[in-house]
Amino acid sequence: MPTPIEREAAALKRFGDRYETWGGDASRLIDLETRGADVGANGYTTMAQADDLADVLRLRPGVRLLDIGAGLGWPSLYLAEKTGCDVVVTDLPPGTVRGAARRANEPPLSERCRFAVASADRLPFRTASFDAVVHTDTL
Amino acid sequence: MAFYTIFVAPDLPAEARRRARQAGPSSVYSRAEQQALLRSAGFVGITERDVTDEFMHFQRKLIEANDRHADAIRKSIGPEAFDQRLAARQASLSAIKAGLLRRSLFVAERPG
Repeated sequence: MPTPIEREAAALKRFGDRYETWGGDASRLIDLETRGADVGANGYTTMAQADDLADVLRLRPGVRLLDIGAGLGWPSLYLAEKTGCDVVVTDLPPGTVRGAARRANEPPLSERCRFAVASADRLPFRTASFDAVVHTDTL
Repeated sequence: MAFYTIFVAPDLPAEARRRARQAGPSSVYSRAEQQALLRSAGFVGITERDVTDEFMHFQRKLIEANDRHADAIRKSIGPEAFDQRLAARQASLSAIKAGLLRRSLFVAERPG
């Protein structure tokens, strides 16, 4: 029976490997054909469902959003662009977080997005650092 | 807080629950229901919107899209990995259709 550390390491490798191979033409085409945009997604959240998140969380300029297990930044980078909110994107594989940061490396998005390698159960933020939290197909 | 999550349908017999866990994402382990977990963590104002139909539709679209681009994906990730991913998606779709896996949007608030 694997220990919790061994399970986490296996998950880290699995998701890290998956996102390392993302970005090929086929992956982009699949995103475009299924979601309507190249968002680097690995879950099942559609564009309409991302818009629902913006509504239920009342995202707008000045709102601080945390995305846990964000992968390459879907849907939080989209939500930051659409609503003007600030976002901190977190996930565990460092390469994945770097990939997300590359997707938001130009203003104005780059000025409102921050990135952190962090585990969902050991987040490195003070209490009440955020107004809203989102995660999609992470738990 | 708002999140979409895939979970095993409640009140399944043991064999169906085992099949659902095998077909679902690796994190589909909890025996407790999502709303109970949220309440135990102190959240209030919990609502749930079932999006399982959309999940099924989207999984089907992903399978079809991966099939259209199979040659390119096989070159990118290798034939074995491609076959494993496709089999996993098909098992997931089958489990969704059988009512074993669900997906919902949960919204909850911190008290006070």
